[in-house]
Amino acid sequence: MRETIVGPFAGKFVGHAVRRVEDPRLLTGEGRYVDDVQLSGMLHAAFVRSPHAHAHIRNIEVAAARRSPGVVDIITGAEMETLVHPFIGMLALKGLYDPRFYALSSKRVRHVGDPVAIVIAESRAQAEDAIELVEVSYETIEAVANASDALDSRKPPLWDNRSNVLFDFANTYGEVDAAFAGADRVISHQFKEQRVSNQPMETRGIVVEIDPKSSAITVHAATQSAHMLKWVLALLSDRASIPASIKTLAINRDRVTRFAKSAKAILTAKPELKEPSPMMPAMVKQFRAEPSRFVDLQRAMLGLLAKSDNDRPEVLARDIGGAFGTKGSASREDLAVYAAARKLGRSVKWIEDRNEHLMGGGHSRDEIVDISMAVRNDGTLLGMKVSLTLDQGAYPAFPFGGSMFSQIIRVMFPGPYRVPVMQFNGKVVATNKGTLVAYRGPWAVETFVRERMFDMVARELGITAAEVRLRNIVTMAELPTPMITGPMLDVRMSAHRTLVDAIAIADYDNWPAAQLAARANGKILGLGIATFCEAAPGPPDFFEHSIPGSGALAGIEPAKIVLEADGMVAVITQQVPHGQGHETTLAQVAADQLGIPIEAIRVRYGDTKITPFAMMGTGGSRSAAMAGGVVTFAARELKERIVDIAADLMEASREDIVIEAGNVHVAGVPARGITLADIAVEARRRDQNAAPGEAIRVAQEFDGGEGGWTQATHACWVEVDLETGQVAIPRYVVVEDCGEIINPAIVDGQIRGGIAQGIGQVLYEKITYDDAGQFQTGTFMDYLIPTACEIPDIEIHHIETPSEIEANYRGVGEGGMVVAPAALTNAIENALAHLGVRISEPYLPPSKILELAGVIQTARSTAR
Amino acid sequence: MKMRGFEYHRAATLDDALATLSEFGDDAKVLAGGQSLVPMMAMRLSSPAHLVDTGKLTTHDTITETDGMIAIGMRVTHAALEQSALIATAVPLAHAAAPHIGHRAIRNRGTVCGSIAHADPAAELPAVAVSLNAQLVVRSTRGERIVNAADFFHGYLTTALEPDELLTEVRFPKRGAIAGASVHEVSRRNGDFALVGVAVHLEFAKPSTKKGAAVIANAGIGLFGLGGIPIAAVEAQSLLVGNPTSDDLFAAAADAVMRNIDPMPDNHATAQYRRHVAGVLTRRALADATNQALAAS
Repeated sequence: MRETIVGPFAGKFVGHAVRRVEDPRLLTGEGRYVDDVQLSGMLHAAFVRSPHAHAHIRNIEVAAARRSPGVVDIITGAEMETLVHPFIGMLALKGLYDPRFYALSSKRVRHVGDPVAIVIAESRAQAEDAIELVEVSYETIEAVANASDALDSRKPPLWDNRSNVLFDFANTYGEVDAAFAGADRVISHQFKEQRVSNQPMETRGIVVEIDPKSSAITVHAATQSAHMLKWVLALLSDRASIPASIKTLAINRDRVTRFAKSAKAILTAKPELKEPSPMMPAMVKQFRAEPSRFVDLQRAMLGLLAKSDNDRPEVLARDIGGAFGTKGSASREDLAVYAAARKLGRSVKWIEDRNEHLMGGGHSRDEIVDISMAVRNDGTLLGMKVSLTLDQGAYPAFPFGGSMFSQIIRVMFPGPYRVPVMQFNGKVVATNKGTLVAYRGPWAVETFVRERMFDMVARELGITAAEVRLRNIVTMAELPTPMITGPMLDVRMSAHRTLVDAIAIADYDNWPAAQLAARANGKILGLGIATFCEAAPGPPDFFEHSIPGSGALAGIEPAKIVLEADGMVAVITQQVPHGQGHETTLAQVAADQLGIPIEAIRVRYGDTKITPFAMMGTGGSRSAAMAGGVVTFAARELKERIVDIAADLMEASREDIVIEAGNVHVAGVPARGITLADIAVEARRRDQNAAPGEAIRVAQEFDGGEGGWTQATHACWVEVDLETGQVAIPRYVVVEDCGEIINPAIVDGQIRGGIAQGIGQVLYEKITYDDAGQFQTGTFMDYLIPTACEIPDIEIHHIETPSEIEANYRGVGEGGMVVAPAALTNAIENALAHLGVRISEPYLPPSKILELAGVIQTARSTAR
Repeated sequence: MKMRGFEYHRAATLDDALATLSEFGDDAKVLAGGQSLVPMMAMRLSSPAHLVDTGKLTTHDTITETDGMIAIGMRVTHAALEQSALIATAVPLAHAAAPHIGHRAIRNRGTVCGSIAHADPAAELPAVAVSLNAQLVVRSTRGERIVNAADFFHGYLTTALEPDELLTEVRFPKRGAIAGASVHEVSRRNGDFALVGVAVHLEFAKPSTKKGAAVIANAGIGLFGLGGIPIAAVEAQSLLVGNPTSDDLFAAAADAVMRNIDPMPDNHATAQYRRHVAGVLTRRALADATNQALAAS
């Protein structure tokens, strides 16, 4: 483990475990989370939710509830449809049917926890009292309880009398049949991943603040993307008819002019947006098949255009207690609370409770994958056929749901291996379950299946798990080379090196002997390895190969850097940190460029009034590369501007100006230096138009440059108690390469946290519905998250592949969670291999271990 | 998750608490450490109209020895039990059970009597009480009675306590000269309720001068997580008593345990798993208790 270093640093902060700037306030209880927002006269919301998996709503009676003490209003699904627009999926992909739905359900409920009414009261407790008095008459419908139900055409459709298969696609790369015909062996297996859930410490929450005087709207939110939330709430709220919006625009022509002006500015800056989007043909097809979809979208868009500034919210996200992906969505509840506050003209708070969060706050994984690998007898992989079924529950997450994840799964399936040909078929299905959201590597099933399958192939062929990987992994001599699915593996793709190093550190070659010796002493040990790469942020062509047409909008990272009037530097980012430590790492990056201490830097985020616009927010392991990159280049530009002024003030040539520890001076004479505050005074004298409090402002955008991959190999050891089925993890080793490390303590923390969640997925966590779609894991006594007691020490070895690329930072947010389930499951299968055990699902609680080992009989469990 | 409204009574004295319970009966619930009741109220699974807080009855927080029994007052927390030197020497089974109860934060507030009165079948202390056949001192305005642990647990979260009664003290018998105790449990995570648990207390006859296996004079086996109530493994106990220890004897006791239980499946473990592991843990706990007793003698 690296030592935690706390300054002073010799002018360089990047690469050091600088203590997190955030921690003093968070650890002393001074953080400001959304539930800390207390406003005078603020009301509280709670939702009436369906107890049924699938039912028609026949009647909803709220009169008694309205009379309950403290109740201010109750909005049912029917009324909500007059207040808001439906959610309309933004992905246009061939073969995708994206259902439209409202913030509340009015005619039908589609999962346990589906909201049917929102109660607004003086307190949350009073709102919950009133919920008990709302009488909803349901007529139940047969549930579509799992993916096999969804594929069964006799089961009732969830959406619009269509098949429960909402998205069906197929991609073929190369001559698959020929490769399979020429193989020595074709090895096939079916894998499943159970449904799990993100479960951050802080649940979802939102406070919609309405200023009583100006009626300006401020949305305090726990969100991963402040601008996305602002845009979605502005787009979908305050439903108006098309004629009404046109009338508003006729009166307020300035709104049209302003829109045209900004659209022109965007198209000038990004001429590539003028090209017809590759999504266009699919979009046109969608609209032809469903004209009402086009009308709904136009109504919402026109409504947005017609809104005054005062009718659009500003979003303010301060401290956030984690998300792991689930707060990257704008939820139905967010919109319902917003609509209620707008209707009443009063501030409303909703803090989701844990039971709600487990039911409807966001689930993930839940896939079935059939895979065949065509191989030579020496383990050489000749091709793969993959068939994915992804169960995204009832309501697709907005704006990104299961359909998008399915495309990243497809693109990522080959990983860092040579896959000469590949056939990929995918289905995304609707079931009566909660919404599938992004969760720390939402595509992770590709790694689990591929890395499990390599172990199975090795066993079939009588070679080791290391051998089969070494035979097929792309070596650095082959780089650059594209994946069969398109994205480029650039010259820094060091997955091969992580594998070789991990094999050496694990003393892998001597493992079989060590394992046998232990078994002779009654110890059942296993060792598993797994290798992966993640697009963090991926090469420049990554988005285009995943979702054609999405790259131009998603790939841009803006930032502003301001020398403020007092000599402090503000880094203003669209990132919305929720545990990642951006206030520290972005300050480290800027400090190194500017030659100033990090204490002289303030990182500002989460406030749509001041942060630059981008929809991505924080997610996808992108911040290190994207935000680290743009802050590097913007800080460098700011330094140039500072040096210009300093050279004038000190009558020296620009080349002789240095900035060290905040002291701006001529090289060799630090005693006669000046401060950034002096520079700021001069800059404001020169620029009479500088904004209040600002001296020099720099704004930049960064497209990610070369982008790149993070890669790692994990080695996991287990000891299995064959009498009780308990699994202990005596050792865990990570060898990873995320490029240049900004803050090793934060990087190691990300890796450890991801592995903890990966261990959770294998040994503890499962979201369970029974065969009738009843939800069974509504508390933390049912859904088990590992605690510190369950997580072993984790040994981390870093590789930094040298590169000339500037800002060679790559993300590590998701990787631990992506690969740990494969490493741990491989280790467990290795421990039980002498019993003929083959593992197809990562969920391995003690009773499952004993069933696999043949110690106890397999019971048909009451739940799946 | 906000609880329904209720009336809060803070008892100043034991009589005060009993009077309030007598007045409200079924509508009242006793609040001790609150580690089970409060979450149930927050989830609206339990909504008593009256809550009688015993937090101020601090004179009942002692552990004392009288007449060969160790008496634990109603305000003694799990943490106090865990740290008590008297318990460590005189009631080794309770001492062994204490670290398994929840987490430290739970043990700081939760009480021994509260856990037994709550009667969760997967909790440790009810099984310890059954294993040692503890005496449970029950008070009401109508007077005091003593219920043996064997008669106390009636069903899932249901006991011999009448609505107006309060469990004021639990009395464990003091261990004999040669004794060993062991608690083995399997839980999903550290601190969770047990999937399967076994609490074993063994007493041995005075060692003969001859070398040979020690003879079991008295055996208590309490099972938890295996049914609606904590279970005394009566058949296994009688198999053990009067016999010298051996692997075969312990295996026979484990078989008896497995034969006599009818565990339920849930999302955490199947019935088959619970039955199998009950046997495994019985063997392990018997061996541990024996080793402990003989090492110390």
